[in-house]
Amino acid sequence: MGKNQPGYFGEFGGRYSPEILTEALEELESTYQKLKKSKKFKKELEFYLQNYVGRPSPLTYAERLTKHWGGARIWLKREDLNHTGAHKINNAIGQALIAKFMGKKRIIAETGAGQHGLATATVGAMFGMETVVYMGAVDVERQNLNAKKIEMLGAKILPVTAGEATLKEATSEAMRDWALNVSTTHYIVGSAIGPHPFPTIVRDLQSIIGKEAKSQFKKQNHKLPHAIVACVGGGSNAIGMFHAFLKDKHVAIYGAEAGGLGPKPGEHSATLTYGKTGFLHGTKTLIIQDEGGQIVPAHSVSAGLDYPGVGPEHAFLSQTKRVDYRMVTDEQALDSFLEVTRIEGIIPALETAHAFHVAREVAKDLGKKKDLIICLSGRGDKDVTEVLRLLGERSK
Amino acid sequence: MSKIKDLFNSGKFKSAFIPYFTLGDPNYNDSIEFGKTILDNGADILELGIPFSDPVADGPVIQRAVARSLKNKFSFDEIFRVTKEIHLHKQETPLVYLTYFNPIYHCGIQTFLDRAKEAGVVGLVIPDLPFDTKESETLFHELRKRDMDLIHLVTPASTKKRIESLKKTSTGFIYYVTSFGVTGERREFSVDLKERIRFLKDTIQLPICAGFGISTPEQANQIAGYADGIIIGSAIQRVIEENGQNSPKTKDVLADYISKIRASIT
Ligand SMILES: Cc1ncc(COP(=O)(O)O)c(C=O)c1O
Repeated sequence: MGKNQPGYFGEFGGRYSPEILTEALEELESTYQKLKKSKKFKKELEFYLQNYVGRPSPLTYAERLTKHWGGARIWLKREDLNHTGAHKINNAIGQALIAKFMGKKRIIAETGAGQHGLATATVGAMFGMETVVYMGAVDVERQNLNAKKIEMLGAKILPVTAGEATLKEATSEAMRDWALNVSTTHYIVGSAIGPHPFPTIVRDLQSIIGKEAKSQFKKQNHKLPHAIVACVGGGSNAIGMFHAFLKDKHVAIYGAEAGGLGPKPGEHSATLTYGKTGFLHGTKTLIIQDEGGQIVPAHSVSAGLDYPGVGPEHAFLSQTKRVDYRMVTDEQALDSFLEVTRIEGIIPALETAHAFHVAREVAKDLGKKKDLIICLSGRGDKDVTEVLRLLGERSK
Repeated sequence: MSKIKDLFNSGKFKSAFIPYFTLGDPNYNDSIEFGKTILDNGADILELGIPFSDPVADGPVIQRAVARSLKNKFSFDEIFRVTKEIHLHKQETPLVYLTYFNPIYHCGIQTFLDRAKEAGVVGLVIPDLPFDTKESETLFHELRKRDMDLIHLVTPASTKKRIESLKKTSTGFIYYVTSFGVTGERREFSVDLKERIRFLKDTIQLPICAGFGISTPEQANQIAGYADGIIIGSAIQRVIEENGQNSPKTKDVLADYISKIRASIT
């Protein structure tokens, strides 16, 4: 492996994980290459996406939000309507099928917001696989509804108390489990992160979002949208949304990352704004780190964006400036959450609320008669308790 | 000529004892004392851990050690200062660093190696830098220029083909990971451990040292029967964890444990 070889996006990506995982990663890569071309696999994946996930997800014209913002026409790609309520299921189903083809009987996952854990627990139940979900102890608290659902589905949650007890630590712990059980277990990585081939597999599985959005929009409007927006934690819903549009140079692409409480280290998860090139969880990418090369704890109001790294393909797209990544603070995300809920009758995930804030800015800049699609990555039921708590604090 | 190669050629021991501990746990000055104690009681090579916030190849004991270390402000100046002090205490014992790649990359490969060499370090072990990466190649060449070694890890899952291809860029010794999973004390080892080490010895013309999971003198004795060296980390770190600061007691327990292991493998 080297520059310009598979697994790299420019200088980013690659495989920088403990040696014990190398064989499994190579097996995964070769299996995936075969399955990608296999009619049987494609058919089976399509079957589950249609009949279990509920794809294609609608592309909704948001009339009220369009009027309210007073700029570009707003369209919503409704990943919130997927079974389990977010885009994460697209990837979980695909990887569970890959695991099945590899003969692995046990699946593990890391989760922040709990959406990926929920998706993995769901496919684990459906395919009858033993499922273990690693979740930061802090996230088990703030995303308690998802934690409870995961257990109800028969998966085991292992709360991780190390460090900040959030997504980064859950990811490390899942990697350790995989190192121990690599012959029986498949690790369903939940975002476009991790050692090669994970960023590519996750992107391919999520790219259905952008493919559908593109053809739905074309069918209704006989053209392409002027801009698209998605939120970026690890970056899986975003790369899924972006991928089909990357070559359409006149489509402006925006990513929203978590600006948290402010620009100080430890107060945000704005990797693409403040990160420096480094190595974390098996990949070379932009990472928030200090002068000693230690990873700085991330912060975001949304557990799903609370990660100090980012998928390597986003690091590349940021470097080449194909995508404009912007920061959104906790406060701004909370305001957007409330606004979208009231105006459009859709409760978005707090993660997605970040995308709405950027979309509002972009819609204004674009002006009327232009079109903007937002990836509505997930629904916000899981966030209701946390939002009420934050509103309580705000009113104090 | 590599210091590690000289040492293994010297015939000083049947099997080398390579203890590991994390620098800065519980603080940098105590690390100097622990290092001296370990050197005085029978380390053939000493592995010093540079803490990294996300040690994915390490089990709970070393994770906790790293967390304690990082409660002190991490700085390369401190790392190199402490390393040098330990080195000056017993210059004939080779020191190697074990760390993850991110801190090295962040420091800058050239700067890091120059300063490490100056502090008395002769080799590196980097559990998250596979040999078939551009960065590993760069590092290997830079290390060669300085007569330093890049010690690769080989695991029970490494294929013969992969082992063949890492020969080109391995020096010093091979760190053979005795079991699946992460560092930490274990009761049992994989059944084919002996055969795997034998195969490695035949394939790569380097000493094969075994680590991950070894803690008792009995285990050390058994594995020293067919490995060229024994690496012990978590068990030593646990002594430090259980006894804490640089008290006379910690040093006594450490000295006792180190000398017992050393005695068990001769
Ligand atoms: C609804 C929703 N959107 C976005 C994310 C962020 O993940 P990614 O950046 O991989 O799309 C999450 C993660 O939990 C999520 O639940």
